[in-house]
Amino acid sequence: MAIDTRFIGKTYPEVKYHVCREKIREYALAIKNPDKHYLDENFAAQTKYGTIIAPPTFCVVFGAHLIAPVFSDQDLKLNLAMLVHGEQEFEFYEVVKDGDIITSRAHISNIVNKEKLDVISIEVLSKNQLGEDVCKGVYTFVIRK
Amino acid sequence: MAKIELGTTFTAQEHVDKYRAIYYAGASGDFNPIHIDPDFGKMVGLGGVILHGLCALGFVAKTITDWVGDPGKLKKLKCRFASPVHLEDTINIRGEVVEISGGRAKIALQVTNQNGIEVEKNVEAEIEL
Repeated sequence: MAIDTRFIGKTYPEVKYHVCREKIREYALAIKNPDKHYLDENFAAQTKYGTIIAPPTFCVVFGAHLIAPVFSDQDLKLNLAMLVHGEQEFEFYEVVKDGDIITSRAHISNIVNKEKLDVISIEVLSKNQLGEDVCKGVYTFVIRK
Repeated sequence: MAKIELGTTFTAQEHVDKYRAIYYAGASGDFNPIHIDPDFGKMVGLGGVILHGLCALGFVAKTITDWVGDPGKLKKLKCRFASPVHLEDTINIRGEVVEISGGRAKIALQVTNQNGIEVEKNVEAEIEL
C-alpha cells in the first residue's frame, strides 16, 4: 500500500542527545577515521576548537533517534523489510564538541508514490545547547513494492 | 590546509573489512537486519549483508576532511546511494574542485567499487575556504 502523502509535514517529538568523547571515538573508529581531532585530547586541546570534536557525519548518531520513530509510525505503515536508504543530504553549521547537548527535531519533508516504489524524506534539524544550528540532514528512503 | 583551486583533485581508497557493518551498527545504532544478517539480506534480494550507506558516506567525508585538514570546513555533503556496498569491497573516492565562489569550494566526487561501479552518485560537497 502506498504511503499516504497527507503525512508530508508531520512532525515528531524533539530528542535531546548528550555528546561524549567516548561515543565520538566509537563512531570515528567505525568509519575508519582516526583523525586526531576526534581521538587525541592533547592535540584537540591545541586546536581552534579547544577540545575533542565529532566528525561531521556524527550527526547521524543523534539523527537516528529521530528516524526510529518515523520507521515505527503506525500511520505510515512502512515496509521496513523492503526499505533502503536512497539519498542523503547534510548541511553542517557549528562543529559538534565533546560535552554538547544536542536537541533535534524532525518532520516528513516529502513523500512520493511511484509505480514500483515509494520515497519518503525526513528532515532533521539539530541545535546545540547555545541554540546554534549544528546540522540539517535530509534522509531519503526508498521502499520497494 | 591543502592547496584548493579550480580543478584540484584528490583521491582515497577504503577497504570494507568483513566486520565493518557490525562496527558501524554498534556505533550508529542502525541494526537493520540487511546490515547484520546475511540470511535476511539474501531473503530480500540483496545477496547478503550490505554496508550502511551512511558508513560509506562517512568514508567520503573522511576523504574530504583529511584533504582539507580541518573537519569544521566541511559544510555540505550529499549523495544518492546507487548500488549496494558489500563486505570486502574496496571503495575508490575521487574528488575535484569544480567551482569556487563566495568563500566556498564546491567539490564533485566519484565513488566506485573495485569493479568500477558507482556505489554513490551525484556526490557533491562544499568546503569553507
